[in-house]
Amino acid sequence: MTASDEPQPRSAEAAAPAPGARADRHSVPDNEVGELVRAAARGDQASWEALIARYSGLIWSVARGYRLSQADTADVFQTTWLRLAEHLGQIKDPERVGAWLATTAGRECLRVARSGSRVVPASEATLVGLGQVDCYSPEQATLDSEQARLDADQARTLWRAFGELPERCRQLLRILIASPAPSYAEVAAALSMPVGSIGPTRARCLRRLRQLLEAM
Amino acid sequence: MTMNDQKETRVRDQPGDDELEEELRRTAASLDPVPPELLRAAADAFTWRTVDAELAELVYDSLVDEDALALVRGGSDRRLLSFEAGGLSIDLEVSTAGAARELTGQLAPPQRASIEIRAGSGRVRTDADELGRFRATSVPAGPMSLRCQLAAAGTGPAIVTDWISA
Repeated sequence: MTASDEPQPRSAEAAAPAPGARADRHSVPDNEVGELVRAAARGDQASWEALIARYSGLIWSVARGYRLSQADTADVFQTTWLRLAEHLGQIKDPERVGAWLATTAGRECLRVARSGSRVVPASEATLVGLGQVDCYSPEQATLDSEQARLDADQARTLWRAFGELPERCRQLLRILIASPAPSYAEVAAALSMPVGSIGPTRARCLRRLRQLLEAM
Repeated sequence: MTMNDQKETRVRDQPGDDELEEELRRTAASLDPVPPELLRAAADAFTWRTVDAELAELVYDSLVDEDALALVRGGSDRRLLSFEAGGLSIDLEVSTAGAARELTGQLAPPQRASIEIRAGSGRVRTDADELGRFRATSVPAGPMSLRCQLAAAGTGPAIVTDWISA
C-alpha cells in the first residue's frame, strides 16, 4: 500500500460537515442502525456483524479510557456484546443502540474498576499507551520508507503527549477518538455526562494536548 | 490586525481541533486497535443467545450498590449479586481465589433446578437442591451467565441471567 492510498486528514477535513453538525457524526444513519438491531433480533448474523463493525471501536475505547488491565478490558468488551445479544429483542430504542452499548460498557468498567482485586497497579496504568506501542502495532514492522518512519515517530510523540493528559481529559478524548467516530450522545452515555458539556470539554482537552505537544 | 493576532485566532479555530482529533483517531487505530480475537469473540456472542429463555435482570450488585463504607470494611474478593425474572430471584455469592472462582447460590422461592454456568468459553453444570441451594467450584474466568431449568417448569422455558464481567 502506498501512502496515497491512506485516508489523508486534510481531505477528510474538507469533506467534513459544518462544525454545527458534529454532534451527530454517525457513519451509519440512525434508522439503518435500528434496522440492524431488529434484523439481528430476528436472528440475522450479518446484521449482528455489521453492529460489531460499527460499535466495537466505541466499546474498546470506553474500556481503554478507564485504564483497565488487558484482561479486564477484554472481559468488559465481551460482556457488553453478550449483553446486547441477550437484550436484542428488548432494546426500547433500537436507533440509539450505540448509546445503550456505551452506557453498558461504561457501567461494566466502573464495576470492574471498583472490584478491589482488580485494581490496576500504578505501574501498569502508567504503561498503558506506552507499553502498547510495541505489542499492538504489527504495522510497525512493515513501515520501511523514511517518510513512514517519520510519521511513526510523530504518532508515538502524539500518543505520549496524550498519555500525559489529566485523567478526565484522557478518558473523554479516548472515547471521542474511537473508530468510527462516535456521536456526542454516545460519548455522553459512556461517561454519564450531559451531552452539552462534551463539546466545551473536548475543546479544553485538545488545547491542553497542544500545550503538552509543544513542551515535548 | 497583526500577524500574531491572526495566528492566535487560527490556533483556537474549530477546524484545528477537528484535525487534531482525526490525527489522534488514526494514531489510536494504529497503536491501540481492537484486538482481532475480541472481534471474533463478539461475533461468537450471537451464538450464545438464548431466544427461548426468560431473561433474569441484574437487580443488585455489591460492587455497585454497597455503600462506600461497606466496601472499605468488606473483603473485596467476595461479590454478591441478585437477579430477578418474574417471580424468581437468584442470589449469587462469587468468591475468587487465584484464577478459580467459586459460586454459592440460592433460588427463591426454594426449588430444584438444573443449572448451567456459562463462563469464559466453557460451561459448568450443577443442581439446585429442594431448598434451592447450589454451589460450583472451579468456574473459569471471564464473562459469566447462569441458565436455570426449573424442575417444576418441566420442559418449559429456561431462565438466563444477565451477563456479568466477574
